[in-house]
Amino acid sequence: MTTPRPRAVVIGSLSLFVVLFVVLTFELSASASTSAGKAKANAKARPAPAETKTETAPEVEEEVPGEYAEPEEPGAEYVEPETEYIEPEPEYAEPEPEYEYIEPEVEEAPPVVTGSS
Amino acid sequence: MIALASVSGVLSKYGWWIVSRSSGIVAFVLITISVLIGLTMAGKPVRDPRFTKNMRAVHEQTALAGLVAIAVHGLAIFLDPWLKPGVAGVTVPFALGVHTFWTGLGVIAGYLAMLLGLSFYLRRQIGAKLWRKAHRATIAVYVLGLFHALGAGTDTGSLLFLCFAAATAVPIAILFVYRLGATRRSSERRHAARRARVREAGRAAYERAVYDTA
Repeated sequence: MTTPRPRAVVIGSLSLFVVLFVVLTFELSASASTSAGKAKANAKARPAPAETKTETAPEVEEEVPGEYAEPEEPGAEYVEPETEYIEPEPEYAEPEPEYEYIEPEVEEAPPVVTGSS
Repeated sequence: MIALASVSGVLSKYGWWIVSRSSGIVAFVLITISVLIGLTMAGKPVRDPRFTKNMRAVHEQTALAGLVAIAVHGLAIFLDPWLKPGVAGVTVPFALGVHTFWTGLGVIAGYLAMLLGLSFYLRRQIGAKLWRKAHRATIAVYVLGLFHALGAGTDTGSLLFLCFAAATAVPIAILFVYRLGATRRSSERRHAARRARVREAGRAAYERAVYDTA
């Protein structure tokens, strides 16, 4: 009995990889060609990302007409974040006048008697 | 022509994703075979040295091929234009935003596989006894890989994969339990032999002392 060569394992692994690659490629292209399968394929292909994935802005991919369509039921629908706008309370207060208007006292001048008697 | 255009469109859009799926399955298959052979060898079912040598060669080759497949799997995920995991997403456990827990298990399994697999070539430096103890933890690579595949894998729902996983998980579990039992039995045998040696040495010393005094 001879010692098995590493070549057998390498060839076996590569063959399995190639077979899987071809099968998965054709499976995806077949499901993408049917209208019903498009949404399924896209949803299966790209699961909805978690919160950390939203840190980067999603790129807008150019759609090739008649090739791929967006999923009919998109997994991750953009929802406008609810933000409560709070009116800021004005801190500026009108300064109250510190002075009081005092009516100037008018001194009564003694009546000037003029005239001759 | 339309079919070819469709395939090229799929490859341009999902190429790296398909590579990561394929290499992930290949890595899981190879690691499973390697663990299965390793556990079978540990039970020593056949005493023929040539058979053991051949099994060890296949065990080593599948483990090395599995490590290469794991590296390709990680590289393909890193290059996926949709996922954009960055270096941290591929190398730091639980840092990826998609299937965080399950992909984290996969990253840990990858590190363990590299560490335990490549430690074979450093067994003289670290000592054969310590290496053998550490090598028993390789079962953790398989278990983590299985959970990673079931939790984060796209194709793990397929009947073929489930059949393969079930067909290999059951014998691996049985062999692992058998190995644990064998290790305990071997340890008990060693202790019993040591006790017998000590008893024998004590008896010899006693007889010698009696002979000397007589």
